[in-house]
Amino acid sequence: MLKLIIANLKMMVRNKQALFWSLLFPLIFTVIFGFFFGSGTLSTGTIEVVNNSNSELSTNLVSLLKKQSDIFNIDEQSGIEAAREKIKDGKAGAAVIIPAGFGATGQEAVTELKILTDPGSAQTAAAVQSVVGAFLTQTNYLVTNTKPIYKFTTEVANPSSSGFGYFDFVLIGIIGMAMMNSAVQGLAISISRYREDQILKRITTTPLAGWKFIVAEVIAQLIENVVQIGIIIAVGVNFFHAHVGNIPALLVVSLTAALLFQLVGFFIAAVTKSSDAAEGMATAVTIPMMFLSGVFFPIDSLPKWFYNIVQLLPLSPLLRNMRSISLDGGHIWDNPTQNLIILVWIVGMLLLTIWRFRLSEE
Amino acid sequence: MKNVIKIKNLVKQYGELVAVDGISFEVKEGEIFGLLGENGAGKTTTLEIIEGLRRATSGETEVLGHKIPNELRIIKKKIGVQLQSSAYYNHLKLTEILELFAVFYNHEIDAVKLLESVQLELKKDAYVSQLSGGQKQRFSIVASLVNDPEIVFLDEPTTGLDPIARRNLWELIKDIRDRGKTVVLTTHYMEEAEILCDRIAIMEKGKIVAYDKTNNLVKRAIFPYSVSFETEVNDEKVMKNLEQFGVVSQPGKKKYYLLQMKDSDKLGDAIDVVRKFAPIGLAVRPASLEDVFVELTGKVILPAEKEANA
Repeated sequence: MLKLIIANLKMMVRNKQALFWSLLFPLIFTVIFGFFFGSGTLSTGTIEVVNNSNSELSTNLVSLLKKQSDIFNIDEQSGIEAAREKIKDGKAGAAVIIPAGFGATGQEAVTELKILTDPGSAQTAAAVQSVVGAFLTQTNYLVTNTKPIYKFTTEVANPSSSGFGYFDFVLIGIIGMAMMNSAVQGLAISISRYREDQILKRITTTPLAGWKFIVAEVIAQLIENVVQIGIIIAVGVNFFHAHVGNIPALLVVSLTAALLFQLVGFFIAAVTKSSDAAEGMATAVTIPMMFLSGVFFPIDSLPKWFYNIVQLLPLSPLLRNMRSISLDGGHIWDNPTQNLIILVWIVGMLLLTIWRFRLSEE
Repeated sequence: MKNVIKIKNLVKQYGELVAVDGISFEVKEGEIFGLLGENGAGKTTTLEIIEGLRRATSGETEVLGHKIPNELRIIKKKIGVQLQSSAYYNHLKLTEILELFAVFYNHEIDAVKLLESVQLELKKDAYVSQLSGGQKQRFSIVASLVNDPEIVFLDEPTTGLDPIARRNLWELIKDIRDRGKTVVLTTHYMEEAEILCDRIAIMEKGKIVAYDKTNNLVKRAIFPYSVSFETEVNDEKVMKNLEQFGVVSQPGKKKYYLLQMKDSDKLGDAIDVVRKFAPIGLAVRPASLEDVFVELTGKVILPAEKEANA
């Protein structure tokens, strides 16, 4: 059976067209969405910093600002005019101007710095003001030698959800889409082509047990799926700073999705008479789900009656579970309702497939 | 010689349609056995029941002493099957396909050596799609030999091939027989069956209408000899003079006559008459299997029909 799995994998790699749809197609989606929405996640933009002072205090402030790289990027400028230009051109959201002598001791000491803001980037302004404000308060305490009485501590309530954005949402959608497309399209078309070419018939003339043939197909598909998920996550995380959370749990749900859609693929191969028909039916099944199961946008905003229907599509609960794992730090068992829908689909498709799918005609 | 296949009262029904209607025959060890018949006569259905691909409605089938369907697994290990279509995996090389099929039988093979036996060793790294029609058929046959089977089933192995490729395949089939294997084949080509097959069963509408050694079948011809020639002499005169010897017809081109003779003793007299017509291309032929086949099944299979159904 190992040999059959290896042979299946070889065929997958050599079938350039199928390889494109299973690997390159989701990758193209990842890159496109990555360019639009990836990178920096909650980043509110760029801050110009003009440091005309050489005191320890000013150096500390600049380095503190630089540490906030997950909130904004720092771009250092030499003069205030250059910083203004950047803001005017929309290349920066705010600027911190540290005048000469700021933080120095003695006669020339300056105690005030300036923050330039852009009304169009209120978020950036608020962020930089709070960082600078906190820094100055701290300094004031040190200088006046008093201890703060009231303080607060912060704790991230949901470690994995820290700063996730639309790209993280859509990346999970792309993984789900990849599972669905490669399993439904891949199996429906390849199995029906095997039947058309009489390869299935030829195999039934050998003593090979039918279940071994099927299991080898399934395993080869799953291996392909793991590679797909690996590539999508690697590109998403490394190039576009995506957050995917608990990868093993995500993998489990993704492969559950793959298995369910493999059943759909087998079923389509069973009920269609030619590979062309199988291809058409596979497309008819996958395309609507791409849009109605929340691959690219949340389905919660759909009208209630419509949502009640589309949430039952097989991809919907799978995506919901995958997102709860990677975006909310959830666990596989967190959503009993969703799991029930998935289970019903798996059992239902399994029964239908067992009922209709045969390697030979009799 | 012992019988390796025994079929008794085999019936296969699809609803109202009776595809195989109570046939019985045996195949002897080491022979080339031909199953002939028109398209739809039930040849392939019969083969596929013996190969375990279809279930018989009733009747007994025994292969190498094992009963179908109970001992099908054992039978499958000992037989090799070539199906009518020779398609195989598109994205595997020839050696890879052979090795994969050998795995299905738990059989060790030297794929290159097998390919050598059908002169395909130079194509070992090719894909099936890169082979010519004859090469595909040869590959398809060698693929049925990966488990070193005792019986090999070939379903229309030469359909659609050119005459040279067809003769190559005859050599190959003979080789397989010489290696001690029993060969069961179906074909549309009577010439091929006459040359290759030791014994033949002719099927017609699900029934066996003739079943004998090939020689004996040919002897059964109603017209043991035929005389053919071309002449400028007018129709009426030719007909009038020759009808006493048998059936005269103009089966094809203009001025081409065919005299089918029932009584071989009068062959000399008939030829003497024909000579008076200044014949061109005078030929005397003994009856062939094709003549017997046409007489038995009552129809001529047109070449165009053969190709269309290939």
